Amino acid sequence: MKPLSVLIVDDDLALLEALPEALRLRMGGVTVETADSAATALDRMTDRDYDAIVTDIRMPGMDGLELLDEIRTRRPNTPTLIITGHGDNDLVVHALRGGARDFIQKPIDRDYFVAALYRAIREHVATRQVKERQEALESWADELERVVERLERELRAMPGRGDT
Amino acid sequence: MPETLMAESRPAITEPPPSSPADIGATQLRARVEALERRLHASDEQRRAMLHIMGDLNESNKRLANQRKAMLHILADYEQDRRRLGLQAERLDNSRRALLHILQDSHGDNLRLEASRKAMIHIMGDLRDTTIEVKRREQELRSKQEQLVQAGKLATLGELTTGVAHELNNPLNNIGLFVGNAVDLVQLGATDKQRIVKEMERAMQQVRKATEIISHLRTFGRAAPFSRDPVSLKQVLTQALSLMQEQLRLRDIQVTLDLGAGEPIVLGNALQLEQVFINLLTNARDAMADWPRKVIHISIAVASEAAEITFADTGPGIPPGLEGRIFDPFFTTKDVGQGTGLGLSITYGIIKDLGGTISVVSPEGDGATFLIRLPLAPPDTQETPRQ
Repeated sequence: MKPLSVLIVDDDLALLEALPEALRLRMGGVTVETADSAATALDRMTDRDYDAIVTDIRMPGMDGLELLDEIRTRRPNTPTLIITGHGDNDLVVHALRGGARDFIQKPIDRDYFVAALYRAIREHVATRQVKERQEALESWADELERVVERLERELRAMPGRGDT
Repeated sequence: MPETLMAESRPAITEPPPSSPADIGATQLRARVEALERRLHASDEQRRAMLHIMGDLNESNKRLANQRKAMLHILADYEQDRRRLGLQAERLDNSRRALLHILQDSHGDNLRLEASRKAMIHIMGDLRDTTIEVKRREQELRSKQEQLVQAGKLATLGELTTGVAHELNNPLNNIGLFVGNAVDLVQLGATDKQRIVKEMERAMQQVRKATEIISHLRTFGRAAPFSRDPVSLKQVLTQALSLMQEQLRLRDIQVTLDLGAGEPIVLGNALQLEQVFINLLTNARDAMADWPRKVIHISIAVASEAAEITFADTGPGIPPGLEGRIFDPFFTTKDVGQGTGLGLSITYGIIKDLGGTISVVSPEGDGATFLIRLPLAPPDTQETPRQ
């Protein structure tokens, strides 16, 4: 299985140093990329399908909520977590209605954060696996149908079977 | 004078009548002549005496007549005098009555005057009380104004705090993460000490950032008596901007500066001036909240003996007719709970205190521009700008 990849979006450069390090320490083998603005994040997304995106809600230019909307259109399956300031309850509600998988309040509790991220990714991976399996099943079903059709044709063509 | 006329026609009567010629003897005659002569002589003397007397009489008569005439004159004069006197008496009487009236009036006037005087004393007393009261009120007003300035500052501080709380949250959050990372590294038994130190150093940097924010807020909120020191306008502006920059940045508000080459120093108080700049920045920030173009242009220029600071925003500007009121205390166009209406009035007060002026122009649809003019500090104080 390919390593998990996470994109962190925040305009605070210190956080872009601290949070990836925390994830690397807590979630072995995870690839963490960072973007210091929503625009950069959207650029990154075109090249790569992340397992999760974590974004700050207050950013100059395009803010976290707008980025969330964009993610929902471009990558509807990518789970998105929103970082909010303490007491930004209205924004949290907005974010959850807008399709955020979860929210993390600053100051960030690392255990909570890692757990939430794992949960989101696991869900995403599970969904993806389910989807993949379903697709596989569907293709098998198609295959089976084709086989059955072929067999029926062969059966009909067999001499002595057609006259009753 | 009939008597006088009679006396003059008498000589014919004094001639004695002649004796009868029968008795005439010579002696007798002679005796008679002599007697007659004597008589004639006597009568002549008498006549002369009489004439004399008559003359005297006449004289007396004349004098008398003169005297009578004089008397008549005197009488006439007297009569005239009497009439005049009568008139005068009448006039005098009138005058007396008038005087009486006047006296009565004057008495009334006196009474009134006395009443007025008493009233005046009352009024003076009241006036003195009022003056004392006015002085007391003035003092009260002054202390209220001081309180108002402090209240305004606290209100500004309150508004700032909401923004700053978010700002403070970031370094705190980062400190937590960096320290947490260090703890993890230690617990995982990391051999690379440098990596742990790096996390701790980054945490320290964030601690410094948080401290800066806090100490700045504390200085700003302090109710210190306002001294007058040489203050560098550019430095104060930088301080105000550093306190506001995060809020402006998060709202996509661009700040452009045109600070010129000089280093204008004014006599004032850095904290108060900082409050002025913060108020104007807050004002511009709120004005442009729902506006597509968000730029605050700040310029500092030195004109003749004064520094000119302008804050121009690209917001909707001030509604026509309200320019004159925006410096009034408690006047606000913001929604209830959004503004105290004190910011600009305090700004106005501070600038006026420093001997400067503040005005606003807001051409329709072209934002609002605040212009502050502050007298430059005298050259001998320019050397030691303090914070």
